Amino acid sequence: MGVQTPTRRGFVAGLAAGAAGLAIGFRLDARAQQAAPVGPPMLRANPKLDSWVRITPDGRIVVLTGRVELGQGVLTAMRQIAAEELDVAPARLELISGDTAETANEGVTAGSQSIKFGGEALAVACADARATLVTAAAETWGVERAALSVTDGVIEGIGGRRMTYAEAASLVSLVRPVNLAAQRKPPHAGTIIGTSLPRTDIPAKVFGQQVFIHDLRPEGMLFGAVARPPAYAARLVSLDMGWAESLPGVVKVVRDGSFIGVIARREEQANDAAHRITAAAQWRDGEAIFGGKGVFEHLKTQPALTRTIHSKDAPAAAAARTHVAEYRRGFQAHASIGASCALATFEDGRLTVWSHAQGPFPLRGDLARGLRMDPAAIRVIHAQGSGCYGHNGADDVALDAALLARAMPGRPIRVHWTHEEEMVWEPWGSAMVVKLEAAMRADGSIASWGHDVWSFPHSTRPGDRVGCNLRSAWYLENPVPPSPIVDGALPNGASARNAVPIYDFPGQRVTTHFHTAMPVRTSALRTLGGYFNAVAAEMFIDECAAIAGVDPVAYRIRHLADQRLVAVLRKAVEISFWQPRPVVMGRGNAQGARLVGTGVGMTKYKNSDSHVAVVARVSVDPATGVVKLEKMWAATEAGRAINPDGIANQIEGGMVQAASWTLLEEGRWDRNRMVSEDYHAYPIIDFDRIPPIESVLIDRPDLPSLGVGEGSQGPTGAAIANAILDATGRRVPEIPFTPERVLAALRA
Amino acid sequence: MLRITVNGRATEVDADPATPLIYVLRNDLALNGPKLGCGRAQCGACTVLVDGHAARSCQVKLGDVAGAQQVTTLEGLGTPEAPHALQAAFIAEQAAQCGYCTSGMIMQAAALLAEKRAALTEAQVAEALDHNLCRCGTQPRIVRAVMRASRQQGA
Repeated sequence: MGVQTPTRRGFVAGLAAGAAGLAIGFRLDARAQQAAPVGPPMLRANPKLDSWVRITPDGRIVVLTGRVELGQGVLTAMRQIAAEELDVAPARLELISGDTAETANEGVTAGSQSIKFGGEALAVACADARATLVTAAAETWGVERAALSVTDGVIEGIGGRRMTYAEAASLVSLVRPVNLAAQRKPPHAGTIIGTSLPRTDIPAKVFGQQVFIHDLRPEGMLFGAVARPPAYAARLVSLDMGWAESLPGVVKVVRDGSFIGVIARREEQANDAAHRITAAAQWRDGEAIFGGKGVFEHLKTQPALTRTIHSKDAPAAAAARTHVAEYRRGFQAHASIGASCALATFEDGRLTVWSHAQGPFPLRGDLARGLRMDPAAIRVIHAQGSGCYGHNGADDVALDAALLARAMPGRPIRVHWTHEEEMVWEPWGSAMVVKLEAAMRADGSIASWGHDVWSFPHSTRPGDRVGCNLRSAWYLENPVPPSPIVDGALPNGASARNAVPIYDFPGQRVTTHFHTAMPVRTSALRTLGGYFNAVAAEMFIDECAAIAGVDPVAYRIRHLADQRLVAVLRKAVEISFWQPRPVVMGRGNAQGARLVGTGVGMTKYKNSDSHVAVVARVSVDPATGVVKLEKMWAATEAGRAINPDGIANQIEGGMVQAASWTLLEEGRWDRNRMVSEDYHAYPIIDFDRIPPIESVLIDRPDLPSLGVGEGSQGPTGAAIANAILDATGRRVPEIPFTPERVLAALRA
Repeated sequence: MLRITVNGRATEVDADPATPLIYVLRNDLALNGPKLGCGRAQCGACTVLVDGHAARSCQVKLGDVAGAQQVTTLEGLGTPEAPHALQAAFIAEQAAQCGYCTSGMIMQAAALLAEKRAALTEAQVAEALDHNLCRCGTQPRIVRAVMRASRQQGA
C-alpha cells in the first residue's frame, strides 16, 4: 500500500472541506461539552493512571492496555502511541495487555474501536505521566518546564543536567487519577506515530517461540475435552460413567446435567474419549432447526421485532418511478485456522483462566455467573489465539476449561476444541435478508430510499449484567440462561450497521425485523450486519444507476455530500483506471469466451469510521458460472494513520476475507445442527483465487484516527457483486455468488 | 518407547505408535512451531518436513517416522541468530496477522525452495501453497515473502 499525502490541489480542497467540517464539528462539540464531561470515555471509566502507565524504581517503563492482540497488530500500534507521548524508544516499553488483575477494563477489543478509543485514552494517560515527570524535574532544578526536553525516557535540562523517568517518578506519585485535561503532542511534532514500525510479535511467530495460548504447558497440565450433544436441542438421558472413566488415558469424567467433560493425560485421548462418549450416551432429541424450513423463509415469516430506527422525510415530490430489490446472505462462520483454546487452574477457591477472548473483563463476569462464583475470585489473562474475526468459541471454551479445572483443583487443564467442534458449536454470523426501495425522480436521481433488514442477533457476547452467554452454561443440571438479547442501537447499529445511507438522499428510512429466537446461535462476525447491509445497498445503487443510464461512479458522486467519501472514491477510480460507462441491465460484456466486468463499492464503516472505496474486476465463465477475480484496488482514508503498514495489512486482509465470504462461504445444517464442519464442507479462499491487490492510503494527520479493521469488507463484497452485474448484465441476489447461482441468473 | 529424530535430535517418546505426530511434537516435545489446525489435512497449519518433504503432521503417525527418518519443524529451520531465508523474509514483508498459519506456510515453502533451484514465479508459489489456508488474508504478503526468500537463495 502506497501512502499518499494529498496533492497540492487536493490539499487545498481538503483543507477547505476540513475547515467546513471543523466549523460544524465545533458547534456540536461545544454543545456536547456542556452535557458530557471532558476526556476520553475509556479514561473516565478507568481513571487510575497506574492502570495505563507505570514507572518502576528500577527504571522499567510499563504500559498497560485493556485491548488485546488478535493478530491485527494493535499492541504494536499501542506501543507507538505510548512511545510517542512518553518520548521513549518503542522497544524500551514493556506492555501488559488484557489482564483483569492489572489492566483497565476496556470491554471487548472489537468494532474497530481500539485505536479510536483505547489509543486515545492511553495517549492522554502517557501525556499526563510525561508532563508530571517533567514538572518534577523542572521544580527540582528550579527551571521552566519549557526549558526541558526528553530523550528516550531521560529528562534533559540546560548545562547537561539529566534525570531519568525513574528518578523523577520517585519525587511524585503516579498512583492517582489521570489528569483528563493532559495535552497530547501536536500531530506535526510526532516522530513515531505515522511510521510503519514493524510488528513486535511477528519474529516470535516465525521462530516458533511461545506466543499462543495453545503453547502454554504448565507443570502437571492435563487435557480436557467436551462430549457434545448430537444436536443443539438434545439433552442427556443416560451415560455409563464407569465405562466412560475406563476409556484410555481418562483421569476423570465430569457430568453436570447434559454437560460432559473429560480430563485425560493426553490431548488425543481426551478428544477420542469425548467422541466415544457422545456416540455411546443416550440423548433426548429436540425440535428440528427452523422447523425443517429454509432460513430466509423463517426470517421473513416468523414473528420478529419490527422497528423503524431511522427516518428522514423527503419533500413531497412526484417520483417518476420506483425500484425495489431483495438480497440474501446465508450463515457465515469465523472459521479460524486454530480452534478455540483455554487454560484454567482452580486453587484455594480461586480460578485463573488464560483466554484468547476479545474481552477479559466481560468473560470474567459471565464465568462468574456460569460457575456461580464471585467475580473477585476469578482472574482472566489474555493470551493470543488464532485470529477470531469476532465472537467465535474463544469465550465458550474458557467455561469448559473452568468447569473441568474446578473439578480437579490444583491441576491446570487445557481445552483445545477440535475444528469440527468450533464450526458446529461456535456462534455463526447471521443469515440476513435486505429489501431496498428507491423512489427515483425523472432525472434518474434518488429522492427517497428505504432499507429493511431481517436478521438474527449480531452480538450475543458475554458482558451483560445478568445471564451467561457461555454455551456450556445452558447445558448444566441447573442451567444459567443466556443474557437478554438486544439489537445494537444506532448510530453504529448491529443488524442495521451500515444500513443508514452514506448518500445524501432527501428521504430515508431504515427498518429492522429482528429475531431474538436463534435456532442456530448467532453473534458477532467481523462487521456484524455491516458487510451485508453495505453490499446490498451498493448493489442496489448500481441497479438504480443502470436504470438511470448513468456511470456508477458519477451516479454515486451525484448523491454524495461527504467529501471524505468522494475523495476515496476518486482515488480508487484513479488507480484502477476506471472507464466511465453506464451498466446496461440484460447486456453482458463478452470478451472472447468470457464475460468481463468492473464494479465499485464503498462505505464509511459504521457511518463513523474508515472511508474505503474498492474497485474489482472479474471475469465470468458463461458455461460454468464460475467467477474469477482478476484484480482489486482500494483507497482508504481513516484520519491520522498510526501505522500505515498495519492499516494496509488490515485493509488488504479484509479484502481477501470478504472475497472469500462473497464467492464461497455458506453454512449448511440438518435437523440437528450446523453440518459445515470442515474446510471441505465450508471452503474458504485459497491462494489460487486471490487476485493482485493494489491499495492506497490517504493519510490525514490533521484528523482523529478512525478504526480500519472492518473497513474493507463491505466495499469489497459490493465491488465484486457490481463487477458481476457489469460482466453479466444480470442480478445475482444471493451471497455467496456460487457458480450455480451465477449460472441460474445467466439462464433466467 | 519409540525413537524419533526431530530437528536433528533423537528422542524417546512414550506414546501409542498410532498417535498423530502433531500431538507428539507439541505436547511431548513441547515444540510450538507446528500448529494443530483442522486435523484433517485441509489447512496445512501442522506442516513439517519429513526427510525434506512437506508432510501434514496431523496425518502422519508417530510410528511412521520412528527410526531413521528426520523430522524438521519451524524451530529446526532457523533461529533469531541464524534465521532461514524464509523466516527473515516473512519478517521483512510483515507477512502475518495472527500468525497461526505461519509455521505451516514457511515449512511448505521451505520444501518448495529446496526442490526448485531455478527462479520461482508467483504462480508457482501460489500453486505450492494452495492447500495451506490463511484466514486473515495475508496470502499476498506470504507470496511476496517466499519470492523474496527465493531471490535471496538464488543470489
